[in-house]
Amino acid sequence: MKNKVIMFWVIVFLAIISLVTIIRKPPTLGLDLMGGSRLTLEAQTTETLAKITPEVMGRLKFAIENRINKIGVAETMVQQSGEKRLIVEIPNVSDLTEAKKFIGDTAELEFKKEAGVDKDGNMKWESTGLTGKDVEKAMLSTSSSGEWVVDLKFRDAGVKKFAQLTTDLVGQQLAIYFGGELQSAPVIRQPILNGNAQISGGESSGGFEHSEAQRMVDLLNAGALPVPAEIVEENIVGPTLGADSLEKSKFAGMLGIGFVMIFMILYYRVPGIIADIALLLYSLMLFAIFVSVPVTLTLAGIAGFILSVGMAVDANILIFERTKEELRAGRNLYTAINSGFDRAFTSIFDSNMTTIITCIILYCLGTSIVKGFALTLAIGVSVSMFSAITITKNFMHLVFGTGELKYPQMFGLKKEEINTAYTATETKREKARFGILE
Amino acid sequence: MKFKLNVVKYRWLWMILSACLLLPGIIAMIYSTITYPTHTPLKVGIDFTGGTISQFAIPEKVSVTDKNQLTILRSGLEKANIENPYVQILGASSNDESMETIISIRTKFIDKNSDDLNKIKGVIQTSFPEAQLVSVSSVGPTLGTELLKNSMIAVTLAFLGIIAYLTIRFRFDYALAAFLGLLHDTLFVLGVFSILGLVFNVQVDGLFITAILTVIGFSINDTIVTFDRIRENIRYYSKKMSFSEIVDASVNQTIARSINTSTTTGLTLLALYVFGGVTTKDFVLAMLLGVIIGTYSSIFFCSMLLDWWNNRKKVSATVGA
Repeated sequence: MKNKVIMFWVIVFLAIISLVTIIRKPPTLGLDLMGGSRLTLEAQTTETLAKITPEVMGRLKFAIENRINKIGVAETMVQQSGEKRLIVEIPNVSDLTEAKKFIGDTAELEFKKEAGVDKDGNMKWESTGLTGKDVEKAMLSTSSSGEWVVDLKFRDAGVKKFAQLTTDLVGQQLAIYFGGELQSAPVIRQPILNGNAQISGGESSGGFEHSEAQRMVDLLNAGALPVPAEIVEENIVGPTLGADSLEKSKFAGMLGIGFVMIFMILYYRVPGIIADIALLLYSLMLFAIFVSVPVTLTLAGIAGFILSVGMAVDANILIFERTKEELRAGRNLYTAINSGFDRAFTSIFDSNMTTIITCIILYCLGTSIVKGFALTLAIGVSVSMFSAITITKNFMHLVFGTGELKYPQMFGLKKEEINTAYTATETKREKARFGILE
Repeated sequence: MKFKLNVVKYRWLWMILSACLLLPGIIAMIYSTITYPTHTPLKVGIDFTGGTISQFAIPEKVSVTDKNQLTILRSGLEKANIENPYVQILGASSNDESMETIISIRTKFIDKNSDDLNKIKGVIQTSFPEAQLVSVSSVGPTLGTELLKNSMIAVTLAFLGIIAYLTIRFRFDYALAAFLGLLHDTLFVLGVFSILGLVFNVQVDGLFITAILTVIGFSINDTIVTFDRIRENIRYYSKKMSFSEIVDASVNQTIARSINTSTTTGLTLLALYVFGGVTTKDFVLAMLLGVIIGTYSSIFFCSMLLDWWNNRKKVSATVGA
């Protein structure tokens, strides 16, 4: 009995810790619940780069992270998935038209020199080997005529290359390509040796808009993407729809759990009440684990949680059915409760193990939605083994003690049912636990 | 026991019942595989084929079956050069007044350089000026095929994992019977969704695979509880009772639990189905169907199979003793 009292206080202690954790820390909500966007980018191979290596992915991730940070939204996330994909999550932004162009733009800055004229009389250009990678810094500035321009400062190697180019090509045009488009093609009047250059929008197009020039500066500073990245998947949920889904899932979840609790009391009476308390403690502990890991709660995750509630109750149903059988067989209360737990244990253990096996497979192979579901369900099932077995058992013993069962109604049994069912031989607890029954 | 169910004796009845439950779905799946352009047994959504779904919320109440409105929207979209648009009206039943109804538009994959999304918005706003874009989900075509492949691998691995575990914990014949039960339940849910696809144009997405895997987990739960009881009873009674009698007794001992568990899980799922968000409705429906059929199969189908198998081996009385 002393052990049971200690266990009781341990449970109370855990419940208090869980409660404090939940109050102090809000849960991490998924994008489908709070609104936001998830993009999947896939690195594309190019002529010069035929294989996407982990090193390239590392650089791509770094460049994308830089750009995302420029959008100025808190709690963005960039994560690699598989060999050549990145998952980008941006909360609270639902209009991504601009951001998407910004993220996927290779932002390749290239300087090209004249290479004769094609048959239609258009100028042809060829690469000089000088690119955006040689740029140390880009700045927004205005030209003498008041137009928006982009000032470039080259790095050491770039300064030399640029000096060499401008010396060799005096009097010729030097084309500036940005993202594959010709931005301007100024004539080199004299060699530029200090490594400072300027990009202007060109007279014919009327110069850069402020936003245009600013975007170019941002992209150049954020660094060019080592390879182009295509958006292959996109999920945008508006904040209103997210809030609505959260509201509905909460309501449905509480209603569902409410139904279950009422059912348990109606069918199992006093043990039902105990199972309900265990269920509440279960939800409390599970949520505490969710906020402290933290597990991101998504719609599918909530479904996983609600399903795990069903399974937690299942364990109690199994145990109580067994206990009732033992009581019908005329066993005394204490033994009936104990063997109810011990005999139900193999069923509970085996069935939960298969659920966990499925969850592991889902977690390893699934997409992020599926992962969320598998994780919450697996944690839920594991915690339920504790709540439905340890907590319920402890409470059952504390409530019923060791005496005789005076009121079978407490178990939803009729007096005349006791001692009428089949008899089973006694099994040692240690053996029952492993499915060996004598 | 007052009430006794005769599982073994009416074996043929359960076989016929199972056949009746499964056949329409199987026929629908074969028919779908032949007729759908994707050649899949179920109508697959953009998650598997690639495409874009954009959803708009409008403050007006529009009936889900408003054919007139559907036609107006569809022809409007076609005029705006949107290829093969598929329009659906969803009842949002939300507390938020700006979201009385949700209009969902499925098109081919819209990439970042395309202006199609604005065109679609324009078309919807001509009918509903207050429409606002609430969600976009877009899947590239290559990713879709990959997801389908991965899902198949996941389901197969889950099956194998469960069989392996059961073979270790029980015996191979138990594992086999449980596996056939899983197949039975999975086929049933797939079949129902195949029919729903044909009749109501219901499409399955990535979440559906999750639902199927959960159905597998749940159905095996039920079967394990019954089999665990059979295993236990064999140790007590194998000298006094035949295998068939033991199976019958075990089913009767566990039936209250099976039904109660399904009731509680079913209740939570029902609450989610009726009051939960529009986006998870099909997902919850798949699980709900799975719970119901899983209970049926563990009580009748799997136990019957196990008994049948044992009788054929003619070792019924001495198994496990």
